[in-house]
Amino acid sequence: MTDRAPRRTTLQKLLSRFHFGITLFAVALSGITILLAGITAMRGYADRNIELAAQLGAYGVEPALVFNDPQAAREGLKPLMKIPGIAHLRVLDDRGHPLVEWRSPTEDPAPVLTRIFFPEPFAMTVRRNGSAIGTIEVWGDSTTLTDYVRIGMLAGLACLLITALGTIALARRFEYELVKPLNEIATVAHDVRLHRRFDKRVTSLSIAELDRLGGDINALLDELEGWQGHMEDERAVLAHRAAHDPLTTMPNRSAFDEQLKRRLEAAAQQHHRFALLFIDVDNFKAVNDGFGHAAGDAVLVAMATQIKAALRSGDFAARIGGDEFVVIIDPIDPTVLPAALVERIRASVAEPIALPGGQHHGTAISVGAALYPDDGRDAAALLTAADAAMYADKLRHRS
Amino acid sequence: MLASLFLIGAVFATPQMSVQAASQTIVENSSDGMTRAVNRMLGGIITYVRWPDGRAAAPRTMCLVGTPRLTASIAPDIPGERRVIVRRTTAGGAMTGGGCDILFLGRMPGDERRRLIEWVRGEPTLTITDDDPACRTGAMFCLARKPAGLSFSVNLDAIGRGPLRVDPRVLKIGGADGGAS
Repeated sequence: MTDRAPRRTTLQKLLSRFHFGITLFAVALSGITILLAGITAMRGYADRNIELAAQLGAYGVEPALVFNDPQAAREGLKPLMKIPGIAHLRVLDDRGHPLVEWRSPTEDPAPVLTRIFFPEPFAMTVRRNGSAIGTIEVWGDSTTLTDYVRIGMLAGLACLLITALGTIALARRFEYELVKPLNEIATVAHDVRLHRRFDKRVTSLSIAELDRLGGDINALLDELEGWQGHMEDERAVLAHRAAHDPLTTMPNRSAFDEQLKRRLEAAAQQHHRFALLFIDVDNFKAVNDGFGHAAGDAVLVAMATQIKAALRSGDFAARIGGDEFVVIIDPIDPTVLPAALVERIRASVAEPIALPGGQHHGTAISVGAALYPDDGRDAAALLTAADAAMYADKLRHRS
Repeated sequence: MLASLFLIGAVFATPQMSVQAASQTIVENSSDGMTRAVNRMLGGIITYVRWPDGRAAAPRTMCLVGTPRLTASIAPDIPGERRVIVRRTTAGGAMTGGGCDILFLGRMPGDERRRLIEWVRGEPTLTITDDDPACRTGAMFCLARKPAGLSFSVNLDAIGRGPLRVDPRVLKIGGADGGAS
C-alpha cells in the first residue's frame, strides 16, 4: 500500500468514535453545569454560614464590648472557633481598636478558592440599645468549598465513568445491530464473487433499509444464476458440437485425436495394451450414386449404431472421415489377436441395412487393426499401421 | 451557699474554672481612669438587668449607701438615652424611703449591710457593692480592683432569689470568678 492510499476505517470504529464523542460532550457539559450550580449554591451557604457566625459572635461578644473585656470577648467568640470554614475573627471596639483577634490553627486548604470566594471579611456592627459599641469581622476560608468540590469532582468522575461505560455498551449494541446485517450482505457478495456460489442468498434482515438492499441483491443473484445456468448449457452444447459429428452423433476427428493421445499416455504409464481399428465402408460411393445421399447417410448412421452396439463401455469409436470410422478397444486381453477383433467388428455390421426407399443394402467393410505397443508407440505410427492393414484388407476384397 | 454558688458557676462556665475568666475591664492609665472604668462597668451591668415592671427605657434610681471605695464619683455610664439618677442615702433611708431600683453598697458597718441585704431580698432591687471582692455578703454584683484592671463577680444565689432578670451572658462573664473564689 502506498502513502497516497486513503486510510480506511471500519463502520464500527467510526460509530464508536462518534458515540464516544457525543457521550463525552454531554456528560462533561452536565457535569460542569452541576458542579458550577453546586459551587454557586455552596457559596451562598458559605456566605450565610459566615453571616450567621458573625451574628452569633456579635451576640456573644456584646457584653464583653460593653465591659471592654478582652478575655470575655475571647469567651464570646469560642462557639465560632468550632465552626468549619472560618479562618480569622476580629472584634473591634467603638473606637476601632482591636479588642480580640483569632486565627484558625488549621491551614487554608485552597487559598486560591478563598481569594475568589471570600476576598473580604464579613463585618457586622455590634449594637447595644441602638448605638454601635463595636464591630465583629469574620473571614471565611475554603474548607467547606474544597470538601464540596472534592466530593463533587469524585462523584462527577464516577458519573462520567458510569455514563461512558453505559453509552459504550449501548453504542456497541447499536453497532452490532447495524454492522451484523451489513456484514451478512458483504459475506454473501464476497462468496458469490470469489467462489461463484450463485445459490447463496441474503437472509431476511431486521433493519428495513438493509432488508431492501438485501432483497435487491437477492434479485440480482437470481438473474445472475439464470444467466450462469444458460451460459453453461450453451457452452456444453457448443463443446459437444465441436467434438461430435452431427449426422451420427459420434465423436469427430479432433475428439478422436484428443482421446488417442490420452489413451497412449495412460497405456504408457500402466503398461497395458490397446487396439486401434480402422474401418472403411466398401463401395460407399456406389451407394451414394445409386440410391442417393439420403441412403448414404442412412448407411452411415446404421454403421455407427452397429459399431457402438458392438463395443464395451470403456471402448471408443469416432467417425473421422466420409465413410471412415476408428475404434479404440482399450484395454485388450494379451491373448486376443488382432484378426479376432477385426472379425468381431465385421460380424457386427454384417446385417443388411434398411434404406429410406424400402430396399435393403448389405454393406461390406474393410477393417485394419494396430496394437499398442506392438505396432507402434505413438499416434502417427499406430494410425499408419492400422491404415495399412485396412488397405491390405480392402485389396483382398477387390481381388 | 458557697457550695451552691460553686455548683451554679460550674453549670454556667463549665471547663474554664481555674482560669481567671471573670470580667477584666481594661483601666486606662489616667487620673480618672478608674472612675470611668467603674461607671462604665456599672452602666454595663444596669443595661443587662431587666426589672419586672417591664419598662426597659425607664430612668432608674440608684441609691448610694456607705462610702464607695473605688471612686468617689459614682455616675453609671450608659450608652443611649437611658438615664440613672444617683441619690445618696442611708441604710434606713433606703429601706423606708423606697424608690431604689439600684442599691450601691459602699463601705459600711457589717450589721447595717446585713439588714439591707435582708430587706432587699424579694424586692425588685439590684444590689452592687465595691467592698466585697469575694462577693460573699449577699450583694448581686461585686466590683473589685485586680492587678490587670477592674473586674466584677456575680452572686448567682442572690440573683436567683430576687425577681430581677439578668442577661445570662453577663452572668457567665462574672460567674466563673465569683464561683471559683
